[in-house]
Amino acid sequence: MKVSRTWLQRYFDTPLPATEAIAEALTFHVAEVEEAEGDLLDVKVLPDRAGYMLCHRGIAKELSAILNIPLKDDPLNTPFPMWDIGSPTLLQVEIEEPKKCLRYRGALVKGVNVGPSPEWLREALEAVGQRSINNIVDATNYVMLNIGQPLHAFDAAKLMKNPSADRGKYTIKVRNAREGEKITTLSGDEYALPESVLLITDANADSAIGIAGVKGGKAAELTEATTDIIVEAANFDGTAIRRAAQALKLVTDASLRFQNRPSPELAGYGMRDVISLIREVAGGEVAGVVDTYPARSGSEQERKVSVSLEKINGVLGSDFSKEEVIDVFNRLGLPYSESNETFEVTPPFERTDLVIPEDLVEEVGRILGYDRLPATELPCRDVVRPDMVDQAKWRGIEKVKDFLVERGFVEISTQSFAAKGDITLANPLDKAKPALRTSLDENMKEALERAKYVAPLVLAPGEKPKLFEIGTVFPKEGERLEIKTSEPVPGLPAIEDDASYEPKRYQLGAFKPFSLYPFITRDIAFWASADVDDGFTKSIVQENAGELLVRLDQFDRFEKEGKVSLAYRLVFQSMERTLTDDEVNGIMAQITTALTAKGYEVR
Amino acid sequence: MLEGRLHPITIATREIAEIFGQMGFGIAYGPELEDEWYNFTALNVPADHPARDMQDTFWTDETPRRVLRTHTTSVTIRELEKMAKAGETEKRMISVGKVFRNEATDMTHEAQFYQYDGFAVGPPGAVTLAHLKGTWERFYREYLGPDTRIRFRPSYFPFTEPSIEVDLWFEAPGKEGRWLEMFGAGMLHPNVLRNAGLDPEKVQGFAFGPGLERVVMIKYGIPDIRLFHSGDTRFVWGFEEKNI
Repeated sequence: MKVSRTWLQRYFDTPLPATEAIAEALTFHVAEVEEAEGDLLDVKVLPDRAGYMLCHRGIAKELSAILNIPLKDDPLNTPFPMWDIGSPTLLQVEIEEPKKCLRYRGALVKGVNVGPSPEWLREALEAVGQRSINNIVDATNYVMLNIGQPLHAFDAAKLMKNPSADRGKYTIKVRNAREGEKITTLSGDEYALPESVLLITDANADSAIGIAGVKGGKAAELTEATTDIIVEAANFDGTAIRRAAQALKLVTDASLRFQNRPSPELAGYGMRDVISLIREVAGGEVAGVVDTYPARSGSEQERKVSVSLEKINGVLGSDFSKEEVIDVFNRLGLPYSESNETFEVTPPFERTDLVIPEDLVEEVGRILGYDRLPATELPCRDVVRPDMVDQAKWRGIEKVKDFLVERGFVEISTQSFAAKGDITLANPLDKAKPALRTSLDENMKEALERAKYVAPLVLAPGEKPKLFEIGTVFPKEGERLEIKTSEPVPGLPAIEDDASYEPKRYQLGAFKPFSLYPFITRDIAFWASADVDDGFTKSIVQENAGELLVRLDQFDRFEKEGKVSLAYRLVFQSMERTLTDDEVNGIMAQITTALTAKGYEVR
Repeated sequence: MLEGRLHPITIATREIAEIFGQMGFGIAYGPELEDEWYNFTALNVPADHPARDMQDTFWTDETPRRVLRTHTTSVTIRELEKMAKAGETEKRMISVGKVFRNEATDMTHEAQFYQYDGFAVGPPGAVTLAHLKGTWERFYREYLGPDTRIRFRPSYFPFTEPSIEVDLWFEAPGKEGRWLEMFGAGMLHPNVLRNAGLDPEKVQGFAFGPGLERVVMIKYGIPDIRLFHSGDTRFVWGFEEKNI
């Protein structure tokens, strides 16, 4: 959610701290700020709080609690100035799917002037990366970004009027798509609609004018000629909208908000604010307002959550006082009553996330700050004594690994996906490997090929690579752990639980990156005098080989006729490029010259 | 005979098992190919919940479909279930194993990597968020060195409430110290305990889900996560090794 500091400031008389300080306050007390620069903050609102926090008001409210500065004016906590509800014969709403459309508030506004937005509105939207379209559309977007309620405006003239007076002049019907039904959205894209997708339709014309909770339709798009509009402030079921957005691969600001189930109560506030803003920026008169609210139950008001001080401290491991907890509830604007250190909170309607006692524990912990929790070590208790812990299965596996390492095997780890297998994926990442491996054979073959090729880099001359892998395989009989070795191992034990085996421990140094360029190997052999110092000789080779030498092994030594023959293998490689034979020949010539100068006889 | 080499993941797991073992944690295992129930639903992530977007998931094309586990938290719920059957109220376990995410790979992201998920539960008040802090401060001090410290940030996971992110202060040799985002954790959600057959009034505790490669990369200065499961022996040989 992109948030503007200027926009947030409208909620406070007190000047807000700098953007970075706001970012820090939010990050450590409610939601991570992924980017903060200039006026803009990108707040990562996670699903639990998305019902109330995907808007400037929600974030301002949080800042008010965290920084302990009062909100100037909370749009969700100001009395409803009811406008005149016009004649219901002007607009009528029918909901065929009350489980999917929880509330539909519609308003007919007549006599608007569609045109460019005033500068403040255009700037406010552009500051958070939105494009200004026209004053009406901008008003709906502004109110959504301000208090979180998705809104939409249709051109009323593009709907059919019902001549029969008792049926209402315009009739909005919320229903499921029919087989084969299509819609062209505002962006001009045509969508074939699965039957589960909920539509906003013009009932008199029996045609779709919008995909409910996702996007408006081209058919009722506003133009400069528009004078009468139907404004929608509705609430749709989160699951229905999420499925529709996924099925159509059309995720919008509206669908993102609805899938997180904001309270249907919010629709009332959204309609109030958007009508007020439309009249301010585009003129017009409210001719009629309807409110069809299948989900209204009164339970919204009844929701109460209780938590005791003991529970709060018992979950957090803290030592917070009653007064501190009361302070948190006051700062967050959570009405509560308290008796015997137990709090009964009545969450405001928009706080749909507060349901269980643990939710309140979290509010206390995060507002007071997790930095205030002590770092307490777990007590040593009988049932979890270190000598009682069950690590037998793991120890059994490690025993086999140690057995193999003792015999010279190197452990590798490979990917679980394969070209062929008994179980295939519905959505593979690599289309060439859509299955799960049924054995480690293929990967081992491949790894061994590569290990042989790179052997001069990691092994002494004459040593051959030996590899093993212990990994999960997925044959149709069910997954199991397989041991795979690059060659047969006499006496290889099976994996068995072993509670007492102590796996060998190793300490590793820092990782030394290896080059991905090809390497070149060269052997050099020469005669030296009988009293030759092998180490000294090796250092001559080393010094003259330069920085491109990555490995040097002595691989032969024998005496003959009072002289000693020495042989070395040199491996050259660059971190930056492919070496040429000429280049390496030059280095070898240099080594030969140096050795000759010291009296060695290069063969 | 010349000794072979263990993979760095194995070497790290041995240190982790030792440190957590000293704190009373056993090691548990579970399947990599999981039922939707253990990977999601039992963990309070119902179908069609926006929280499912938090992890990109590999599904099989079977009926009913199964999932390549997206976290080893699936092992946690299986262990909690065993506790419920045995009538236990106290347990500490970690689970080290491969997990899968259907996302594009780069230097810090792999479609398959390891987690060392874990949990500790006990009677109410016995295992708290403060204990999570104590456990991880100790772990990092022992595994990465005495100058490490951690901090918590609020977060959200469906299977924990409260949920937090753990940041680590780490000073790499020769470099300035900095805060690193490490993993998510929190107090097990009552619905998860109930789904395992436990009574949240009688059992409470924390759970955590760190990635293994990430901490190993930090410890040894490994630049690219894709080296781990490439089957390339040059990676395994890319460290000085000392037997201890």
